[in-house]
Amino acid sequence: MIEFNDVHKWFGELHVLKGITLRVEPAEVLVVCGPSGSGKSTLIRCINRLEPIQKGELIVDGMRVHESKTNMTKLRAEIGFVFQQFNLYPHMTALQNVTLAPIKVRKIARKEAESEGRRVLEKVGLGDKLHQYPAQLSGGQLQRVAIARGLCMKPKIMLFDEPTSALDPEMINEVLEVMRQLAGEGMTMIVVTHEMGFAREVSHRVAFMDFGELIEIAPPDEFFAHPRSDRTKLFLSKILTH
Amino acid sequence: MWLFYIEQLIHSLPFFLKGLWMTIAISGLSLLAGTGIGFLWGILRASRSRVIKPLVGAWVDLVRGTPFLVQVFIIFFIFPEFGIHLEAFPAAVISLTNLAACFICEIVAAGIESVPPGQKEAATSTGLSGLQQLRYVILPQSLRVVLPPLVGQYVLLIKDSSVVSAIGVVDVTRVGWLTVQRVPQGLLVFGLVAVMYFVICYPLIRLSNSLEKRMSTGYTRN
Repeated sequence: MIEFNDVHKWFGELHVLKGITLRVEPAEVLVVCGPSGSGKSTLIRCINRLEPIQKGELIVDGMRVHESKTNMTKLRAEIGFVFQQFNLYPHMTALQNVTLAPIKVRKIARKEAESEGRRVLEKVGLGDKLHQYPAQLSGGQLQRVAIARGLCMKPKIMLFDEPTSALDPEMINEVLEVMRQLAGEGMTMIVVTHEMGFAREVSHRVAFMDFGELIEIAPPDEFFAHPRSDRTKLFLSKILTH
Repeated sequence: MWLFYIEQLIHSLPFFLKGLWMTIAISGLSLLAGTGIGFLWGILRASRSRVIKPLVGAWVDLVRGTPFLVQVFIIFFIFPEFGIHLEAFPAAVISLTNLAACFICEIVAAGIESVPPGQKEAATSTGLSGLQQLRYVILPQSLRVVLPPLVGQYVLLIKDSSVVSAIGVVDVTRVGWLTVQRVPQGLLVFGLVAVMYFVICYPLIRLSNSLEKRMSTGYTRN
C-alpha cells in the first residue's frame, strides 16, 4: 500500500530523512514513535507530498509520489490526514468542514455528501454538533471532526500526525477510541504518536525513528519487550517511566 | 453680504450636485475595478510565483512611492506623446483604479498571509486544487482581516479622487474652484465641497469601524 525505497529528504542543509525503506501493507496499523525532530512527522507528510522528497522512491497505492508529474489531487483524495493542531476550517460548521472536499473534489451531490457527513459525524460521536463552529467545540471534539473530515472522503489510508499531542489529558481517550474503532474496521493507518498504550493494543507494528533514520520496526510485543537497539531502549525507558 | 453669497451658492447647487455625481462616478468605477484588480494582484503577491510576485511587488512599490498627482499627469499629458490619447474622464478612472489596485493588493496579500499555514495544508491534504483552496478556505478567512482596512482605504481613495480635478475633470473639487471665481467666499465654497466629501465618506468610516469590531471577535455565530 505504501512503499518507501531509500527515501531521503533535506530541509536546506538539514538531512531529515536518511534513506528510509519501509513497506506498509493494506489494513496494517503502523505506529511511529521517536524523539521530537527525529523526522517522524516529515515521514508521513511525504506520503501525500505535503513535503516533497529529494531522493529515493515513494509509491503509494500504486502511484509514484516521488515523480513530479504524478497527479497528487487524485492520490490525496485517497489519503486522510489528521494534524496535531486539527486545522479545521474556522469559518465553517462541523458538517461544512467534512463535506467540503467530498463535494468539491469527489464531486458528490451536496445532499448525498451531507447525509454521509452526518453519518460519519455520528459515528465519531458528534451527531449533536453538526452545525457548531470549531470555536464552539472542545479539543477532543475538534480532533474527532478532523478525523471525520478525512473519513468522509472514503480514503484507503489514514495518516495521523500526533493526533492527541495538543489535547488535554481527559480528551485523549475519546480520540483514541475513534482511532481504535477505525483500526478494527481494517483501515490502513500510520500513526505518529507517543501513546504507547495505543501502540501496544492497536498497532500491528511499531517503528522507532531517531535523527532521520528508521532504527527499529517490530510487532508491539517484541518492540516493547525486547527492543534491539540501545537508542530504542533509552527512548522507551524515558517515555514509559511516567 | 453673506446672505447674498449664500443665495448665489444655492443657485450653484445643481452645479455642485453634478460635481458630486462626477466624484461618485469616478470613485465608484475606480474602486470597483481597483478592488477586482487589487484582489488578483494581492493573490499573486501572496503566491509563490518567482516571476509574477516580484513584478507585482515592484509595480505596487513604484505606484505607492510616487505622488498620485504625478501619476495622473503622466497618464494625461505624457501618454499622448506615445500615441495614447485619453480624455480626462478615462484618464482619471484609469489612474485612480491603478492607485486603488496597488493599495488593495497590499491589504489582500497581508490578509492571505494572515491565514495560518495549517489551513492550506489541511485543504491540500483533502485534494482541493489551488484555486479551490483559495476560494473556499483561504479567501473567506482572510476577508476578516481584509475588510476593515479595505473600507478604510476606500475613504482615502475617494478623497484622493479630488486630485483629478487638476486635469480638468469637473468633480466636486473642480466645481469648488470654478465657483469660487464667482462667489469669492472661499470658506463658504470649500466648506460646501468638504461637506459633500464628508457625506460620502462618513458612512464608510462608520462601516469600517463596525467591521473592525465585528471581525475582531472569534468565529462564533449562533
